Amino acid sequence: MTSSHTPRRRAARRRMETKDVVLIALFCAIIVVLGLVPPVDLGVAGVPITLQTLGVMLAGAVLGPVRGALACALVVLLTIAGLPVLAGGRGGFGVVPGPTGGYLLGWIPGAFVTGLLVTVLATRPRSRPARQAATVVACLVGGILVVYALGVPWTSVSTGLSLRQSTVTALYFLPGDAFKAVVAGLVAQNVRQAYPIERR
Amino acid sequence: MTPRLSLYLPGDTPLHRARADWKLSVLLLAGIGVFLVRSPAVLGPCAGLAAVALLSVRTPPRQLARHLTGPFVVLALVPAAAAVFQSAATAVTVGLRLCTLLLAALAVTLTTRTSDILDVLERALRPLERTRLVNAAAVGLAVSLALRFIPEAFHRFHDIREAQAARGLSGSPVALLVPLAVRMLKSAEDIAAAVDARCYPPPAARHTERGGAAAAPPPARSPAPAGRKDEEATG
Repeated sequence: MTSSHTPRRRAARRRMETKDVVLIALFCAIIVVLGLVPPVDLGVAGVPITLQTLGVMLAGAVLGPVRGALACALVVLLTIAGLPVLAGGRGGFGVVPGPTGGYLLGWIPGAFVTGLLVTVLATRPRSRPARQAATVVACLVGGILVVYALGVPWTSVSTGLSLRQSTVTALYFLPGDAFKAVVAGLVAQNVRQAYPIERR
Repeated sequence: MTPRLSLYLPGDTPLHRARADWKLSVLLLAGIGVFLVRSPAVLGPCAGLAAVALLSVRTPPRQLARHLTGPFVVLALVPAAAAVFQSAATAVTVGLRLCTLLLAALAVTLTTRTSDILDVLERALRPLERTRLVNAAAVGLAVSLALRFIPEAFHRFHDIREAQAARGLSGSPVALLVPLAVRMLKSAEDIAAAVDARCYPPPAARHTERGGAAAAPPPARSPAPAGRKDEEATG
């Protein structure tokens, strides 16, 4: 398709095309599958780690802010609809008010910020390592900082733990998530080189 | 190998026959309600009610146990943490809250077809469509495509994993995910072409794909509904 290579002004204001909907659905499927497959053993701090949140960062970094966030919103929609799409076969409306509900909803702004930062930081630098590093930073900020910013207070409201205690709980997952953010950054950069698409 | 894609369990219990929109509304209200109440005297019966609702579904015990293992880990850990960090009373409140929600949500999920839930959600989205932020047809398309492609992505993931195991590589996430993402991106073109060829989104909602369409300004948007609204206003 030539359209994906012609630079366009105000691309963000264009209407959704079929291809955008397809890409959103495909990355939603990737996020779901990364939660379904038996976790790749990363051996970080004994925490069972699935790659699901890696899919979230990947969606933002590869598709761009809008479509990445929409892919995550689609996962949330499927979850609410009662499909066991989350890691460990969880699903159903009960997830949202539960202790991890904030992390789930945080994926949407998380993917958006990841995509935005990749656009801002990682398209400028000439050298490959610099772009690589910028993508990793984008995944760390969007996939961890933003997601935790919503998830931690949510846990504390949902369970009655104080903010400090739920922060401590979140820190338990931090090493694994940081590892995933680095992997997501590497993967996204490789994918963008192997198969560049217009990001929005 | 493909995972089962719905928790729905066919049956003919009262909960199965109840309307999907009612069930979801009750669940939503309960979700808000239990966080407004602190007293175990109210939450206890609520949790009991949710348990009764779940039992009334008559799930085979084995399956029920499988569905409950995940939630029960949460149910055990969270009140335990509350008991350690705070008081036993908080632990009871928190435990009953989560118990109510998880059991009720499971009861609804087990008795409602995914398509029914999606219908309800689509109806809920319809008022938002007027703001032009949401396109219900696109949401419907995205949902059905995602449902179709979850098993597909699962197979691809395993293909790639097997291919790499055959070459003696094991479990590098980067080596697994790059080919998966690239394959998905490549197939997006074909899938979009196939969807367009079937004229799936109704013409009104579709972006016309023609030679100069991309460069041309977007067509003036449907004056008909606005006109009708004016008529209503004046008449």
